[in-house]
Order: sequence, then structure tokens, then C-alpha cells
Amino acid sequence: MDPQPEPVYYICGDCGMEIPLKPNDVIQCRECGYRILYKKRTRRIVQYEAR
Amino acid sequence: YRYSAPIKVDVEYIQGSHDQKTRVEKKGVVIGRMPIMLRSCSCTLYGKTESELAKLGECPLDPGGYFIIKGNEKVLLMQEQLSKNRIIIDMDKKGNLNASVTSSSERIKSKTIIQMENQKIYLMLNQFVKKIPIMVVMKAMGMESDQEVVQMVGRDPRYAALLMPSIEDCAKEGIHKQEQALAYLETKVFCVVPLFCYCLGVEGLEVLSGEELHTPYSFLVLFNGNILGKHRKPQHFAAAMRKLRRAGKIGEFVSVFVNEKQHCVYIASDGGRVCRPLVIADKGISRVKEHHMLELKAGVRTFDDFLSDGLIEYLDVNEENNSLIALYEEEATTETTHIEIEPLTLLGVIAGLIPYPHHNQSPRNTYQCAMGKQAMGNIAYNQLHRMDSLLYLLVYPQRPLLTTKTIELVGYDKLGAGQNATVAVMSYSGYDIEDAIVMNKASLDRGFGRCIHMKRYCAVNQKYDNNTQDRILRPNRDGFDSGPMRVLDDDGLAAPGEIIRRNDILINKQVPIVTRGQFKSALNDSEFKSVPQRYDGPQGESCVVDKVALCSDKHNNLCFKFLIRHTRRPEVGDKFSSRHGQKGVCGTIVQQEDFPFSERGICPDLIMNPHGFPSRMTVGKMIELLGGKSGVSCGRFHYGSAFGEPGGHADKVEAISETLVRMGFSYDGKDFIYSGITGCPLQAYIFMGPIYYQKLKHMVLDKMHARGSGPRVSLTRQPTEGKARNGGLRVGEMERDCLIAYGASMLLYERLMISSDPFEVQVFTACASLINLPSRYFPLHVNKPFYDVIPTLPSQKPNIPTLTKLFSHWWTVRILSVFI
Repeated sequence: MDPQPEPVYYICGDCGMEIPLKPNDVIQCRECGYRILYKKRTRRIVQYEAR
Repeated sequence: YRYSAPIKVDVEYIQGSHDQKTRVEKKGVVIGRMPIMLRSCSCTLYGKTESELAKLGECPLDPGGYFIIKGNEKVLLMQEQLSKNRIIIDMDKKGNLNASVTSSSERIKSKTIIQMENQKIYLMLNQFVKKIPIMVVMKAMGMESDQEVVQMVGRDPRYAALLMPSIEDCAKEGIHKQEQALAYLETKVFCVVPLFCYCLGVEGLEVLSGEELHTPYSFLVLFNGNILGKHRKPQHFAAAMRKLRRAGKIGEFVSVFVNEKQHCVYIASDGGRVCRPLVIADKGISRVKEHHMLELKAGVRTFDDFLSDGLIEYLDVNEENNSLIALYEEEATTETTHIEIEPLTLLGVIAGLIPYPHHNQSPRNTYQCAMGKQAMGNIAYNQLHRMDSLLYLLVYPQRPLLTTKTIELVGYDKLGAGQNATVAVMSYSGYDIEDAIVMNKASLDRGFGRCIHMKRYCAVNQKYDNNTQDRILRPNRDGFDSGPMRVLDDDGLAAPGEIIRRNDILINKQVPIVTRGQFKSALNDSEFKSVPQRYDGPQGESCVVDKVALCSDKHNNLCFKFLIRHTRRPEVGDKFSSRHGQKGVCGTIVQQEDFPFSERGICPDLIMNPHGFPSRMTVGKMIELLGGKSGVSCGRFHYGSAFGEPGGHADKVEAISETLVRMGFSYDGKDFIYSGITGCPLQAYIFMGPIYYQKLKHMVLDKMHARGSGPRVSLTRQPTEGKARNGGLRVGEMERDCLIAYGASMLLYERLMISSDPFEVQVFTACASLINLPSRYFPLHVNKPFYDVIPTLPSQKPNIPTLTKLFSHWWTVRILSVFI
């Protein structure tokens, strides 16, 4: 296992701030205290099928 | 997770003992929280404009009226109940006549039943252990002589005859005096007195004798089920009461109902009566005049002003029976007392979506009322920002070409649940029998009936009693599990935007093996077991992770919510319906090249079999087609409100036909059609035009299921039931009967004996009794003398040698599972 996990960024559901979070961090926005965070969209390339 | 407001109270109390009393005041003590109804005056969304609501992420079309409790929308539901304080006469299971009344006041609630059994009348009351003969009750109330009782009930000799058995019954019990009767019973009397009625000439009960109570020249006046007294001129009295109501002296929901048959005037002011507003008419002439309507249009006058000025009043069911209501103003005669404000208000929101419902056979409208709720569409402007547990959305919803007033009022034209399909009513290909629909493949490519299926999946990072908790690991990028883990981010959660297939991992979770017992501090990797949550969507389909939210639940555990989106195009077996209770599944999808087309090059989106019309008699659907066709050609939305033709809220077929002719179509909506297969003109003109079609949420993809062998229930060893458990399909009683009738004996044998829960027992041929020994002691399917088996038997088995002497042969028998 890696010694230092990279923080993953999340978006606050209220103010829209980007919040870096490590495992076992409290789920809360550091700016406004809102407790619902959303994951950011994947950075990998995805190809959708339009049919 | 609750939308609520604190309930604050000011408390004041005395503290200390006799000599040093002090008064303590506490202001604003919170004693609880009260849920707030959304869009009510206490709600933050109250009075907000559309743009303000949009900024808050709320849908302006959301009507509110619900509560949010524990993160769920909750609504208050109406309940239908038997009316209180009214006498209800019915027949019970034994055929006895019952007159019952539920008496209810602030303090007490009781049910009184007067029952006629074997010609004797009894009283049943909760306070009494068993039925009381009616005469005992009468005597307890002070009517000691039988003559007095008969007089009180009524002087018609028939009443006396009816009472005779009861009187005899009572005499047999030896009860003659009030004291004797009261020794059995206790009664209570209470009464409410509304002043107005007495002022209008109601003679109180205290001044009336039993004889006078039943004079045919005056009517009994009842208020909320209690007798107030009598009135000699009931119609005058009722008219006066109504005048008071129209003047606003008594409440607008008070109903006055004269029952000529029962010689009663019922006045009701209690809750639970459904009332509807109607325009008052004097001798058939509406009280609402032109200038009133102009004032309403100018915004000077409101609905409440109409009420307070006595132009409109509320009637409940009883009072409606006292009035003659005209549907339209022109139909009013001198006898008319009320005029309907607008006939289309007779129908509610769901039935109001049907165009021309008054041209349909009534059960069709009923079917549509059930089906309209299953139609896919849009739920709100903020639908894609919500995390609903299950959501069906239409990708390209349209507003119906043939609208109604109700559609505009409820905002259905802003959040539609269907699409305007060009329908050809003709037979095509044989895949359209039994209401099946033939669909145009090109239309589907253009987005007809395309829908989004969104489902929410939850996962929790659980904490346990022994200070341990679940953990979420970084995905294994190159191990054997890397395939299903490819949608995961570094945090072990599926990333939004990724394509996800069945059995892909949503969350890479591990659970501690020991979750109970003594406290543990740090766990190493061997103390965890891997329990990844896999996506259980449809096989072979590719879905997309739409959104992932992180929050904490009520036990402060970390909670993950995944919203998975699946876009589907219609396929064979998907269910569609028009707005006239005419549902059907897609029978086949045909290339546009093979589809029929008109001289103008118009090609239908779907083909409906004409056999759907004769027996259903949905004329409204045909008029919808005509109206829709004229609508698209002249560029105006046509209306089909219920009973709307005279009021101008529905276009008449005649006018529609004129428009059609003007636009170069035939007046009857039929077109000259070429066959798409041969290129030749069809023999008949085809009825073709747009009809609003709904896609219903029942889709084959969610239902399609088959299994060879699979899981079984351990108790019965029979296959499991249901798609979710990969269950088998049941050959039920009726299917079995078919197979028996057809004589398919081998199929029956296979289905019932082998495929379900095969079980074999050994039976002695001589006496047909079962041998209770495991089957491994017997060579299968071979009838052998029993003694051949004996050497393999363990020695302690019961009495086999003795049995052997008695019976020489056994058979193996398969037990039939269905009949057990």
C-alpha cells in the first residue's frame, strides 16, 4: 500500500467549493460547513455510444 | 434531514416553598420541532418569484403542500370515514336491520346501534355488555307506560305493531318502572344550541310533547345530528338560513338540507363534508353578471369577493340534492337554483388531461386515470439535481397538441409526459394484433419514446460497537479484479461520468471480520474481509454513473449515494398508451423505408390496429386525431376540455373539419396513402394524424427473465420465486390443467416430478406403506426383491429382517411436488 494516499477532491453541495479529502476525514465543507459533498467528474476519457 | 421549525413556549412557574415563593419566567423554551409544509406561509420558499426559486435550485412548478421528514417527502392523506352524528341504516351479515350512529363530541365518542332481530328491537352500546331490549331503555328514560312510548315513536298504528314484540319481551323481564330499568342502565344526554335556528322560528324540544313531535305539518330540525326542535315552514326556514349564509352571517360551508321524505331539515357545520362552489341563480338567471367578470379580469374582484357578495356559494352532497344545477347558463330554466361555474371543473387533475373525455365510453376514462400515473415524463425543472431513489424521465417530452384547460391550469404543458406521435390507423404486418403497435425505426432514432432510467444505490461506511469500522480501499489497478474496478477513483468510489456495466464495483469496501466483543484499536489487513458492492443492473447494457454524493446518516456513519443513469430507446415489448385508456405494447419496429407514406411525404411514427376502436368506443381519441391534425396544419393548439363545446373550451368537430379542408386535407381526417413496401397506393384512405402518446414505465428490460437451473429454497427444495432471486417460472394449477387436458403426459411428468423438487421414496408393493430409509440403501429405478439390499444395511436399523419376511418386493416412487 502507498504510504501517503493522494487526496481526492470533492465539490460542496452548497457553495461549490473544491475540498480535498483524505480517508477518515469528516465529510464537511471547510468554507460553509455544508455536510453533503459530491464527487468530481472522472478525468479519464470516456466514450459514450449514441444509438 | 427534517424541514422543521422549533416550537417555542414561554414558561412561567412558582418555585420554592410557602414563605419564599418566587415566580420564574423562561421565554422561548424549545419543546419540540414541527415539520413545515413546503410553500406554506412559514416556508422560506413562500412568495418567491420564479427566478428566486431557480436560484435556490427549486422548481417553480412544484406545488408544495408536502413535508420533508427524515429526507423523504411526506404528504397528508385524506381518509374516507362513515359520517359521525348521522343515522345510517343498513343490513348486517345476518340480514338484521341496523340503525347505527357514531356520536362524537370533544369529550366522548360512542357508537349506538338499534338492531331489529326476530322482530324485536334492541339497543347496542359500548357501555353495555350485551344487547338491551329497546323498551328497557325507553322506560329508563322515564316513559313508563307503553302507550307513552308508542306515542313518542309515532301515532301510526304500524309503529305500535312493530313495537309489540319488544313490549312483550320487556314485560317478560319484569321491568315496569323507571327505577327498575335504571337498575340496568345509565344514560347521558347532551345538546348543542345554535341561536340562529331558534330566532328563525324553531320550536325547542322542551316545549313539545311526544304527540307534537310527530305531527306531519312540521319538520324536525337537526343540527349536526342533534335534534334542535321543530319548524312549521321548513322551506321558509331553509331559505332564511341560506340567506344568512350568503350574507356571511354564518359560515360558508354550513349546509342546509330539507329532506321531504323524512320530514327533516338537516343543518350541518361539521368537517369532513366535501363542498364545491356553484354560481347562484335566481329563477334561472345567474347572479354573476358581465360587469362582475370584467371586474375579475381587471383584478378588482377575487374569488372570495364572489363568495362574500353572495354570487357563489358552496354546496355539500346533501344540499346538492335540494338544488337544480344547470351545466351551462343557456340550459337554465326557471326552476334552476345554481349554475356550474365551469363544467370542466367536474374532473380532477388526472382525468382533466384527457381530451374530449365526454366523447369516450366512461370505463376508458377510468383506465386512463390509472395509466396516466405510470406515464414517463418530467417531474420538475430541478429533476437532474435531485437524488430520487428511482426516476423515469422522458428525453424529449412534448406538450400535447390537443390540450385542455386543466392541462394549462396544472402546468402539464410545461412538464409533459408524452409525445405527439403521427398515428396511422391501419393494419400492418400482423405484428399489430391485440393492441400491439408497429413503430417506425427512424422515429425511434430521432428520439421518440426515448427515456432515462435513474436509480440510486446506497452504501454505508459502518461503525461497529468494538470501535472498528469499515474501510474503503484504493482500487487494485492491475490485479485480477482490475476489470470490474476500472470505474473506481483513488478514493475507492465509482467516479461520475464513467460507463458502468453489470457486476462492476461501485465501492471497494472492506468489513472487519470481528465486529463485536472487546475494544480494538488498529486492525491490520488480515482482519478485514472484502465486500465490494457490485452494480446489479441489466445484463449487457451500459449505464453511466451520473452523480456520487457523500453525506452522513443519522448514526453519524459515512454514507455514499450513487445515481446510475441508463438511457433507453423503445424496444419490442415496451408499453405505450394514448390518453384514452388504449394501451399497447410495441409489437415490431419497422424501417421507415417500409412504412406507408402520404402524398405529402408524411410518414407515421406508429401504426395502430383499427380493431382497437369498435369495442372500446373511444371517440375522443378520433377527435383528438382530427383536432391534432388541424392543429399542426393551421398552427394553433386545439382544445378538448370536458363538456367544453358549448362554453368554447373545446373545438367542435365541424370547425376542425373546416380547418382541415382549408389546409388541403379531407374533412374526415383520412389520407391517400402509398404502401411503403410496394409503392402502390393503398386500397383504402387511411385515418392518420397526431395523437399524444405516453410511454409507460413498464419496460421489458426490467421484466425480461428466464432460467434453466438455479437457486432453490432450502426449506422446500423448490426453485426460488421472482426475477430478483433468479427464480423459476411456475407451472401453476391452470397451466397444469391445460397440459392434462391436452394429454402432454411426458411434459407433465417432467415439470412436476423432475424439474421442481424431485423426491423418491420406497414403497412396499404389498401394503403400499413407505419405507423410511435413505435412498442410498436402494438401487435406483430397479424393482428388486428387498432381501437383495439387506447386506448393505447397517445392523442397528429397525426390524428389516422381520419386514423382509412379510414383504418381498418394493418400488421406488417419485413424489409429485404440486399436490403435497
